[in-house]
Amino acid sequence: MTLTVSADPPAERRLTKGLPVWTDIAYGISLPLALLLAWGLSSRFGWPPEQILPAPQVVWATIVELWSDGSLAEHTLQSLRRVAIGFAIGVPPGLIIGAALGLLPRVRAFIWPVFTAVAQVNMLAWLPLLVLFVGIDEELKYVSIAWSTAIPVILATTRSIADVSPKLVELGRVLDFTPLQRVSTIVLPAALPSLFTGLREGLAAAWQSLVIVELFASFEGLGYLMTWGRQLFQLELVIVAMLVIAAIGLLLNASLQYLERFVQPWKTEDPHGS
Amino acid sequence: MNQIYPSPTFQVESIPALEIHHLDKSFTVAGRELKVLAGVDLSVKIGEFVTIVGASGCGKSTLLRLILGLDLDYSGDILVDGEHVRRPGLDRSIVFQDHRLLPWLTVEGNVAAALRRSSLSRAAKKETVREHLELVGLTSFSKAYPAHLSGGMAQRVAIARALVNRPRFLLLDEPLGALDALTRLKLQDELKRIVQREGTTALLVTHDVDEAVHLGHRIVVMQPHPGRIATILSIPEQARQDRSSHEFIRLRDKVLGLLAVGAGACQTKERTVA
Amino acid sequence: MEADASPPHLLRGAARHWRPFVAFGVIFLLWLAAAQFAWVDPRFLPSPAAVAARAKTEFTTGTLAFDISESLRRNITGFAIGALAGLLLGLVLGFSRTAERIVGPTLLAFRQIALFAWVPLLSVWFGGADAGKIAFIAVAGFQPVVINTWQGVKGLSPAYRELSEVLIFSRLDFARLVALPGALPSIFTGLHAGLIYAWLATLGSELFLNVTPGIGGRLNEGSQLFEMDLLFLGIIILAVIGLFYNSSAHSLETWLLRRRKR
Repeated sequence: MTLTVSADPPAERRLTKGLPVWTDIAYGISLPLALLLAWGLSSRFGWPPEQILPAPQVVWATIVELWSDGSLAEHTLQSLRRVAIGFAIGVPPGLIIGAALGLLPRVRAFIWPVFTAVAQVNMLAWLPLLVLFVGIDEELKYVSIAWSTAIPVILATTRSIADVSPKLVELGRVLDFTPLQRVSTIVLPAALPSLFTGLREGLAAAWQSLVIVELFASFEGLGYLMTWGRQLFQLELVIVAMLVIAAIGLLLNASLQYLERFVQPWKTEDPHGS
Repeated sequence: MNQIYPSPTFQVESIPALEIHHLDKSFTVAGRELKVLAGVDLSVKIGEFVTIVGASGCGKSTLLRLILGLDLDYSGDILVDGEHVRRPGLDRSIVFQDHRLLPWLTVEGNVAAALRRSSLSRAAKKETVREHLELVGLTSFSKAYPAHLSGGMAQRVAIARALVNRPRFLLLDEPLGALDALTRLKLQDELKRIVQREGTTALLVTHDVDEAVHLGHRIVVMQPHPGRIATILSIPEQARQDRSSHEFIRLRDKVLGLLAVGAGACQTKERTVA
Repeated sequence: MEADASPPHLLRGAARHWRPFVAFGVIFLLWLAAAQFAWVDPRFLPSPAAVAARAKTEFTTGTLAFDISESLRRNITGFAIGALAGLLLGLVLGFSRTAERIVGPTLLAFRQIALFAWVPLLSVWFGGADAGKIAFIAVAGFQPVVINTWQGVKGLSPAYRELSEVLIFSRLDFARLVALPGALPSIFTGLHAGLIYAWLATLGSELFLNVTPGIGGRLNEGSQLFEMDLLFLGIIILAVIGLFYNSSAHSLETWLLRRRKR
């Protein structure tokens, strides 16, 4: 027995965590409602001006309009397609390079500092250089999204494999496993949770860099919608695009968290985790 | 069952300092009522050292928690000097199983932290901290940080912290449970000496029967499901003095026999608080 | 975004060896050879000498030093504003359950907006010049700081909370002796990530907002004028600044938390 003294409050808390109490929902929704109310009221009195903050009903009308003429779906799908392709291109090399660096400490000792130095320069700085090599078309989007995906995946994969407890590795040696057995029965399962986290980070990074690259150069997609709205001083377009971006971000995050818990039910995730 | 046999060599005034009447306590776990303490009656006199022994997770620690005033949700009475316990107070202090020192404070700072609510002058605080570090033999470590102490040393600091306010009650929740066997034996003797010297009334929870017999004037044997007092035995002075005496062995075997009855019946939740 | 930069202990040891220098050396030699023997079109891969020459002219007669200092100024100003706001709000959320219940969900929802999606809105609200850029940098620095501070205070071990109850700490003592030092590692993580995001935003703001002096703007210019030597120089400088930020944040953190580890 370590300490039953503190055993009980967490148990209670865990209970309330499972099913949100209605008061929590009421509290949580009070601020957005208050903001919305203030926004609606102030726009009714013409402050701030329409170009600075369009009224909520204007934003709503824009959503309805963009939805009914299909352009919102079109832009969103285009953005999602880019993320999917870029992510799909970025993950395999990320996993392979990461696994190689993780499994081969000697290679890692040579390469790792170079890699961190490269990773240090974020995608944005490469963008002007990249433009010269691949132009500003779809290739630019795929390459930069793949790049942003690969880096966190490599980092997480290398670490997850390199950090596998030496005790477990020792166990593999005691049991006289072949190198292949060692990797498949000990290293991979032990590294799996952090590997998954790496993929989640990679997807988040892909989504972030999609917005960057679409703002930088594009003729369709959510980033383009925002740039266009800004140039026309139609902030309702900007706000609609932000809402869609937030909604997709939320969805991606939530589904991956769910998947993560599904894959490893023993791990309790804190609800506010990244 | 719950008769009290005053120890023949027990010389202090027989005013009960702590009285517990008909104490019932239950938790709600996953919507189900779980009774952890049932009909506990106990009275402890000033200057007495009472040990509580029982299988793991059977309400011993909960009992301490209630005496501390950390949890007020119970039925029955807990009286300290005839007053109901309503909140934690400096007249009752505790040593947890994990030393629970604050890692960012020095040994000195940790002991002094317990004096935040004391009305002593700055100089007097300093002096009493010094005295208590001397009492546990750690004067030369007063500037060290907890990370640099061994488990036994850290637990001594925790004991000094618990005593620095000169509490009337010292509650000990398996204070030596996490230590190795040799350190544990050494600290048992020291604990006995310190408590005797300070004249504090002490209540120690343990699952080490030897420890319970060696330290206590009386030993409370608890049984699980729900936690209740099986019997209370007085420990003759001879048994306390000499671990190899016939009395010691007889008493230990008796307690072990009593515990075996309920052994294995209690596997309620246990949490490790690191 | 490559916000995560503190190498874990297992990998850090490698950096002390001679091996990484070999790798850097080999890359440099390859670069030198490629330029020397014209393996690659020099328009796409300028020689080290060309980059060095560009650096010399830029720093003696050009404006690059001024550009860098302007970028850093905006970066530090924006980060200071964002981090301070994040720290304060994070502490309020960590200490007050009511504030957490009211503001927390909204904050988490806002966090789902990809960082750069703020650019168009902020540029309209604050203009595309200095104010808009600094506002964006502040938003970038704010997010990780507020979340980590909040979670740091909230995630304090219940054992320490119980201890504070037993020692009858006042709220102030609890904050000063227990909660703040306990949350410190998490707060640092937030500040570190905030610093990296703010640096990213500094570059981004120069790419996406009005042209003002700054290193990001110069990079863009180099790209449009096809000045590869300038681009290479810029990227090297950015890597150095990034490394400097990371390592100084890391060593500050290690120094401040030195007592907690054996």
